[in-house]
This record gives sequence, structure tokens and C-alpha cells, in this order.
Amino acid sequence: MTTSLTSTRHAVTDLAQAMELCFEKGWTDGLPVVPPTEAAVRDMLEAAELAPGEELAFITNRQVAVTAEKVAINAVMAGCRPAFMPVVVAAIEGIGDPRWAYHGPGTSTAGAAVLMIVNGPIARELDFNCGDNLFGPGWRANATVGRAVRLVMRNVIGSRPGTLDRGTLGHPGKLSYVIAENELDSPWTPLHVERGFRAEQSTVTVMAAEAPHQFYNQLSSTAAGLLTTCCDDMRISGNVVGQSQYALVLAGEHMRTISAEGWSKADVRSFVFEHTQNTVAHLKRTERLAGPVEAGDERARRPLVASPADILVVAAGGRAGAFSAYIPGWGSRKASEAVTTLIKDRRA
Amino acid sequence: MAGFEILDPTVEPRLQPLTYVARPESLKGRRIGLVENTKFNSDRLLRKIGDILVHEYGAAEARMWRKRNSSVPAHDEIIDEAKRGVDVVVAGIGD
Repeated sequence: MTTSLTSTRHAVTDLAQAMELCFEKGWTDGLPVVPPTEAAVRDMLEAAELAPGEELAFITNRQVAVTAEKVAINAVMAGCRPAFMPVVVAAIEGIGDPRWAYHGPGTSTAGAAVLMIVNGPIARELDFNCGDNLFGPGWRANATVGRAVRLVMRNVIGSRPGTLDRGTLGHPGKLSYVIAENELDSPWTPLHVERGFRAEQSTVTVMAAEAPHQFYNQLSSTAAGLLTTCCDDMRISGNVVGQSQYALVLAGEHMRTISAEGWSKADVRSFVFEHTQNTVAHLKRTERLAGPVEAGDERARRPLVASPADILVVAAGGRAGAFSAYIPGWGSRKASEAVTTLIKDRRA
Repeated sequence: MAGFEILDPTVEPRLQPLTYVARPESLKGRRIGLVENTKFNSDRLLRKIGDILVHEYGAAEARMWRKRNSSVPAHDEIIDEAKRGVDVVVAGIGD
């Protein structure tokens, strides 16, 4: 495969003009980008051992092939280190997977972002944040990998706000929405192992997702107690009748309280599945389901998710503070499901 | 700092040939296909449209298919059956 870069080249006089040109062309997310020079793009490709023309995803509805060259250009612009490129590539493969079904979450008025959860040794090697200020700024890996994916969505796939990205509200996770699981402190099976990978492999899980909803429980010292609070908050959240997937991010104090009683992630999932169900009567009274309340509706229950497996439990967040978060997925699991892809070390 | 070049991060979608079937001059005796996208009320809206096309415009019949969900194209069975069994298709969004 050829190693020449085929992208159009734009001559600029200096760094400032290069950055302004990127704004003028509509190539940025509203923040300044790093100008993508050939040398920087080649470093990015080399780090992932990818030929420029290699196709990483094909978005059917748009008839767009997402090539390594374009991903590398956008990763440079996002501020990624070359070492991050394999993570960006895995995330792009994930959103290109038919199960993730790009067209819906990439376009929808419901305004999903791409939540990315990094697992395995690479999360620690590249310093992805899995602790304090989990969803906040301050970590280059978290901020730039997610930004690179969003720039690919914008510049390569054409998901621009107001045209092919019709999010009514969107949310700040559309700038970058990347976390890692705190595997070192977690007593539980890591997410990627639950999803069929080996612990020593590294993966990224992509999920079309709303913003994180933080919940408080500073009172209970039992697993059931604090998860009861969580479930009460979560029961009416997201697209309640759509049965999307959910991520449940359990931070330090809650993680320790729950695990101290011997609860596994599967136990958490079962509890949350059972305690987030609504009655059909309630969904009708609150205008989420159509029609008058009928006999049996007070007892008929509709689960928030189709099955306990649709709750992705992740151990992450600061060690201190009795807070955790749940994250509603977009739409419904039938329309888009979380996909976990291997971060390949092509140099091995 | 000397001048330099930057690489364009965008692509153009592949062009696909797209041809339209000629619109029928009349709906009289035509078979109508309705593709429902699962959104709330889209079935009611399309059924109403189907009734109007039959009763006011003389269409022979109207039948409906349901997509797997609102975010995907009509699946192959719908396309295959529509090719064989209808002359005109109406697709709609229900929200």
C-alpha cells in the first residue's frame, strides 16, 4: 500500500495563520487546533503502524470511508500524542461497527455524545484519568482522544451541528467524553474482561450517551442502601421507555461500600435492573406512554433496560466523596449498542 | 517561522448514481406501500394517508411495513416486497 499522503495541502505563512485557517474552514470544534503538518501526521501513522490509505471504518449512510490518513490528521489537530493514535483508531472502529449504528446517534436530535471507556494496561501507560474529576478537564489523553474522535465525526463523516448533527441540545461530552476504569483499586472484574477480552489486553468501549448524572448518598453504609438511592434517581431518566443501555460509574467510596458486602458487578446489575422498573400506570400518568390507565397497569412493570446486561458497571472516579454517576445511553439498545474494540499494537 | 503546509482533514462523500422512477400521473388503481418508522403515531399518520389515497385518489390498496427502528434504512424484506407488490411508496416520520 502506498505511503504517500493524498490530502489537499494548504500553504500558510506561520502558525497563527494556520490556526486561523482551520477556524475559517470550519474544521474545529470551536477551540484552536494544532496545525496538521505532514511530519506530525506521519508520526501519528507510524505510532499505529498504519498505511495512510487503510480504511478504518465505512459509514454506509454517508458513503464515507474513514482512512487512517484522515484520522491521523484530525488526531494531530486534537492535540494527541502519537502514542494515543491506536486508541483513537479503536474508537473509530467502534463507532463504525454496525452494532453502534452510526447514523442514529451521529445525527439524532437526542444529541448523544460518544462515551469512551478505556480498559487494560494502555490506560495506565498513557495516563488516562480514572480518578478525581473523572469527567473534568486536566488530562491530555482523555481530552484529546475524545476530541480527535469528534473531529473525525465532524470533518470526515460530516456530522456538523445544524446540518447532519441535529442534536437539539447536545451536551459538553461532545467535546470529549473519555474515561478509564480504575482497575488497580477496583475489586471487580474489569469491563473489558466482562465483555470477552483478556485482562492484559487493552480496549475502548464506545457508547452513544447522554451526559453523566451524579447521584448522592452520604448516608447509607450498605450496598442496597446506596443503590436504592441510585435507582430512585435513575428510574426516570434518559429515554425512559426506549430501553437504552446505561453506564453506571461507581466512584471510590461507593465502590468500597458495595464491594465490602461481597457484591459483584453482576449483583449490582441485578439489583439495579430490579429496582429501576416503572409501572405502566406511572408511565401513562406522566405522558411517557400513550393511553388511559387500564386495569392491570398498576401492576404491569416496564424495565428501564431490556436486560441486566445492558447496565455497564465501571469502577472509576475519585477515592473521596460519596458520589457516583449513571449515564443514560442514546435512544434504545435496538438502535445502537455499546461496542468494545481491541486497541491493537500493530508493532508487535 | 517560515511558511509551511497543512493537510486538509475533510473528505467528500463518494458519489452514488441515483435515478428516480417517473411519478405516476394518477394514483387510480395503484398499489400503495407505507413504510412506518416505529415513532409514536407514525403508523396512525401513514394509515390516514393511505386511506385518503385509496378513498379520495382511487388507489387500489394500501399496505404498511414497519422498519426495525427509526434510525435504520428499510430492511431488505421491505425493499424486496415493495418492489414486487406496490407501485408507490410513502415513508414518513412520526414525531
